[in-house]
This record gives sequence, structure tokens and C-alpha cells, in this order.
Amino acid sequence: MKKLKLTIEGMHCASCAANIERAVKKVKGVKDVVVSLMTHKCFIEIENADEEEIKKAIKKVGYKIADIEEE
Amino acid sequence: MSAEEHRHMSEHHHDIPIEEKEMNSWRKKMFLSWILVIPIAVLMLSDRLFGIKIFEENIMRIIILILAFPVIFIFGFRTIKQGINGLFTFYFNMDSLIALGTVIAYATGFLSIIGIVQDYSGVSAMIMAFFTTGKYVESIARGKAGQEIRKLLHLGAKKARILRGNQEIEVNISEVRIGDIIAVRPGEKIPTDGIVIKGESAVDESMISGESLPVDKKKGDTVIGATINQDGILYIKATKIGKDTFLSHIIKLVEEAQGTKVPIQKLADKITSIFVPAIIIVSVLTFFFWFYFTKDASRAIGIAISVLVIACPCALGLATPTALMVGSGIGAKNGILIRKGEAIQTMKEVRTIIFDKTGTITKGKPEVTDIISEIDEKDFLKIAGSLEQVSEHPISKAIVNEAIKKKIKLIGVKNFKVERGRGIKGNVKGKNVLIGNRKLMNNNKINYRKYENKIIKLEDEGKTAIIVSANRKVLGIIGVADDLKPDSVEAIRRLHQNRYRTVMITGDNEKTARAIALKAGIKEVIANVLPEDKEKKVIELQRRGMVAFVGDGINDAPALKQANVGIAMGTGTDIAIESGDIVLVKGNLTGVVQAINLSKATFRKIKQNLFWAFFYNIIAIPLALLGTLNPVVAEIAMATSSVTVVGNALLLRNKKI
Repeated sequence: MKKLKLTIEGMHCASCAANIERAVKKVKGVKDVVVSLMTHKCFIEIENADEEEIKKAIKKVGYKIADIEEE
Repeated sequence: MSAEEHRHMSEHHHDIPIEEKEMNSWRKKMFLSWILVIPIAVLMLSDRLFGIKIFEENIMRIIILILAFPVIFIFGFRTIKQGINGLFTFYFNMDSLIALGTVIAYATGFLSIIGIVQDYSGVSAMIMAFFTTGKYVESIARGKAGQEIRKLLHLGAKKARILRGNQEIEVNISEVRIGDIIAVRPGEKIPTDGIVIKGESAVDESMISGESLPVDKKKGDTVIGATINQDGILYIKATKIGKDTFLSHIIKLVEEAQGTKVPIQKLADKITSIFVPAIIIVSVLTFFFWFYFTKDASRAIGIAISVLVIACPCALGLATPTALMVGSGIGAKNGILIRKGEAIQTMKEVRTIIFDKTGTITKGKPEVTDIISEIDEKDFLKIAGSLEQVSEHPISKAIVNEAIKKKIKLIGVKNFKVERGRGIKGNVKGKNVLIGNRKLMNNNKINYRKYENKIIKLEDEGKTAIIVSANRKVLGIIGVADDLKPDSVEAIRRLHQNRYRTVMITGDNEKTARAIALKAGIKEVIANVLPEDKEKKVIELQRRGMVAFVGDGINDAPALKQANVGIAMGTGTDIAIESGDIVLVKGNLTGVVQAINLSKATFRKIKQNLFWAFFYNIIAIPLALLGTLNPVVAEIAMATSSVTVVGNALLLRNKKI
């Protein structure tokens, strides 16, 4: 189990946050996603997931990843 | 990504906070949009209001189309792109509505040249200009909402002065290692968590705990990174660095809390998720309805655009997170960390508050108050202290401290053994020494009847009586008391004033427990509870309604989890903090009262916000459907609704807790 903390740019409404949650959840190996609209943070719990797939999913719904931290 | 790359990336992006970046970007878009929209407005209004035609009609249309183009497709590029992208991928967002509304309105400009419909291209530019203005104001307000939390992020020291040999060298905070000795001069920030090895000073910890009075620090005391050394030079040894420091933990808790859900928000979330496609459908139907009944395509398009731009789930979506953010920000400033949004809502239902005794109501640092012995007091303490020095129990520490205070030299012990929940035994100077409570004496058939009255007297005073025996003969008893925290009485009084039921739970015997509870003002006591049974007692109390549990120890974790709201003392163990829904950094009972007030105020704000957001949509959408709102007015109303919700959340900052 690994935890990622992403900083996301371009999120400005609740549906943005919900969309990112929905898109990331679909990536294989993602256990939990929580997106905070207010802090621009996205917390992801993964197990054997491809991080590139997650990045792609977020980009596909139209948002930019400003930073990735591993916890 | 390598660690190096990663660090580089973080540093780069942390230079300008993302909130500020977005605010600047909206401001730029707003100004540029208005520069073009003002001439458009002049052209349009002089025609419509005064009938003055500055240019010939088709030329004017072309001029407006040219002026409006950058407003929508350059300054509005991100919005249009996101919105259209959302339409095609079925990840609808509120940009989808604005994008559709403005692009359709712009397109009417071309259609109007061939004379099919009225020209809405100027209107489309105005909508975008008001949209960016609304977004700009909203981003300022959102930035304010997050101010307290952002302050935490920048609280940490950037540099540290570490000792290398006899030299002090200044290094970046990231270069400090555990075990480094750091010199902190008066007025400087303590760079990281550590322990004082030399020097004495008062330290201002208000930024971490909300405690306004400075705390005295001397050799052996722990200090927290980011607090400010006030008057003396302190030499500290770094014990925690980077992500493990207390400040980092606080930041993590607060940040993670922002992503947690408040249950009341669920309905709003559901509505938001179907809102955009539903409005698109409604808008299309509106167009056909009006076109069918009025045969006026221009009017039908205008109304359909109004519906698109006025219906914004944004206010609904912002209602909860902004209030939660402002609430947690105020909390963090006062040393109250809300870890789960749900706790805010549950707190409203809580009527019973259960307190752990030791370390929660009391200081958790017992002290020796009475020594009753039939042998010389020094000899007595030497025997007791020598055996107790091997144990980690707080009571043992109290006895050892007392011996040290009286300058008694302690000696080694053999065959030390802990009898859990009873006491300890071992061999001191060839004597079989047993120290503990009645149970220990009874189990070993040692007669302590001579002291029974004195034991009862100590217990009536809220003290714990420790019986000391050597070679099966009682030598005397030691009274140990754990004082109340200074604010416990006042905090309990305030809870009673607000008609909360308070219960104290403890492993102590009934008498001692009752005496402490009486001092604190708590009426109900559950005594003699084994650590593993605290959770069961919470379940029993839950039969009569929702409860909050306030505790600090490792053995409190299950009870904190079981309670409807778990309030953990930040001064306690990491495990207790991890189990709490709310963490009190200062670790006193006033914090409980404040946490309750803050939760209630935040939840009220969320409810207000949701009400206004729903109210806005319920009124505005029908008005637009009926064709009573001009598209530009619709956009102004939409922008106002979002700004109002965020602004209302900001009012929470004036709340005294």
C-alpha cells in the first residue's frame, strides 16, 4: 500500500473534484481517492497501480498535476 | 521520478502558492476581457438605448465579432476547452455550461449576418467577462478562506544554526539530521522538534497550540519546531526532522481533513453530479418550447442561453468545503484539529461526553503527597524508590522523583517483576519488597489492616494509596495524587451549563475516582475499568444516545474509535491522535468546549450555505425558463451566488470560540 499526494491545478468547482475522483478510481490498483477542491490536493491510496496511468487519467479529464509527493 | 528531481519540482512550485497563481490568472483574464467588452457594451447600448448607430449594422456585427473573439476563445480558452472536453468525455463540469452558452451565443453573430437570428455575440463576451470577474472575486475569497491553513504551511523555519565542534554553522533546514545540536537565540524560531540540552528560556507556542502564555523550557524539556524562543539561548538536540515533526503531522491532518466528507453534503454532491447534463437537456427543451410557441428563434435562443449560464452547481459544490475549510482554519489557529468532516455534523447530536481520567482531566503527572511510615522516612523512600526506579509506570516515576528530590541514593534491585494492575515486586538489599495496592497485598496474604483507616482517608482525598512491604511486613504507605489540569473545573462547568451529561471513566478504585470527579464537578463515575474494557463502557453509554469520548492514552484508542466523536489529546500518544476525529493540540478540557462550539458553528454555516445555494437555483432556474432574465443578468446572478457562498463561509472567521 502506498499513499500519493498530488497537487492539482485548474480545479475550480465541485464537479471538477468529483470528476477527478471518478477518473482516478477507474485506474486499476487504486484503492481510495479523496480530492479536496479547496486545498487543490488529491490523496490516492494505491496497491500495485501504475502511476503513469493515474497521471494520464487526470490529464484526460483536463487537469494539470503540479506536484506529486509520496508518503 | 528521482528524489532530486522531486525536490526540485516541489521547491519550484511552492514558490508561488497555487491559490495566488490562480487568482493572478483570473485577474489578468478579467482585465483583458473588460478592455474589449467595454467598447462592445458602448456599441450595443448606444444602439439599443438611444438608437444611435455608430456604424452600419453589418459592420457593427463584424466589429463585435472581432472584439468578442479573444474574450471567449483566448481569455476564456481554459474554460471553453475544459467545458467542451467535459462534454465529449462525459465528465461534465460547470465549464460545460458556460462553454456551451458562450459559444452558441457567439455563433449567433455569424447567423445574424445572414439574417436568421438576433446577434448575441456581444452578449457572449459580456457573459465571459462577468464570469471571469466572478471567478476572480471568488478566488480572492477562497484564498482568504484558506489563509489559516496556508499559514501553517509556511510556519516552519527555513534555516538552522547547528554546532559542529565548537563552531556554529548555518544550514538549510533540510540538512539538519537527528542528533544535531542546534543553537537557538532569543527571538528565533526553533527549527525542529528537539530536546533542550542546555539553557533556559520561555518559548511562545501559540502558533502550534493556541496557548497564549509562553512556556518555560529548561534542560530535558521537549520543544516543538516552529515555536519561537523568547528570552534565553537554547541548545537543543534534534529528535525529529522533516515529515516526522509535530508541525508536519498537524499540516498533514488538516490537509487530509479537507478531503473528508460531511454527510449533509451528500445530497448536494448527488445533485451536482447530474446537474450539468440535466441542465443541458432542459436548455434544449426550453429552446424548442419557446420556438414552437412563439416562432421567435432569437428569443428562444436567448432564453436557452440564460438557462445554461444561470444554472450553476458551483454554489452547491462550494457550500460545504469552504465552510469546512474556514472552520478547520480557525480550529488550527486555536489548537483544535478537525480530522474528519463527519465529526462536525455528529457533534450536534452528542449529548454525553465521556472523559478518561489520567492525562485528560488530570495532569497525568502524579506526585507524592503523603508519606506515612513506621521506619525512618529516608530509609523507607530508599527501599520504595529503588524498586520503583525499574518501572515505567507514572506512579513509580512520582515515587522516584520524590526520592531524588530528597537526595536519597537509590540502589540496585534483583528479580524485579510487574504484577499488572496490582503493583511490583523485587529484591532490595536482600529483602523481598512488594509495592502496590490492596489486591497485591491480599494476593500475597500480607496484613495491612493497621493502615486501612489511613488508606481510606487518602482515597477520600482523591489520592492513590500505595502500600510498601518488605519481608511480608508493611513498612508504610505513600499517597500519590494526580492534580486536575488548571482549567478542568471551568470547562466541565461550561459543559454542564450547555446541558451536557459528563461521565468520568478510570481504572482507579471507586473512592479515589469519586473524589477526583467531585473536584472536577463530574457527577457520574465509572471506576475500576480495566483498560481493555473502556470500549465496552462506551458502547453501553451509547445505548442512550450519541457520545463523545475524550482521552489521551494508548489504551484509549479503541474507545476513541468507538465513540461517535473521538476527541484525542494532542499531548498524548500518536496512536490516540490517529484514532481521534478531533485532536486538541494543547490537550486541555477548554479545548473540548471550543471544539464543540467550533463544530456547531461550522455546521450551522454549512447548512446556511446549502440553503442559499438550493434557494438560488430553485428561484433562478424557473425565472430563466420563463424568459424573464436576460443572459447577462443570468450570468451576474450566477457569479454572485458563488461569491455569496464563499463570502458567507468567511463570516465564520468572526466567530469567537
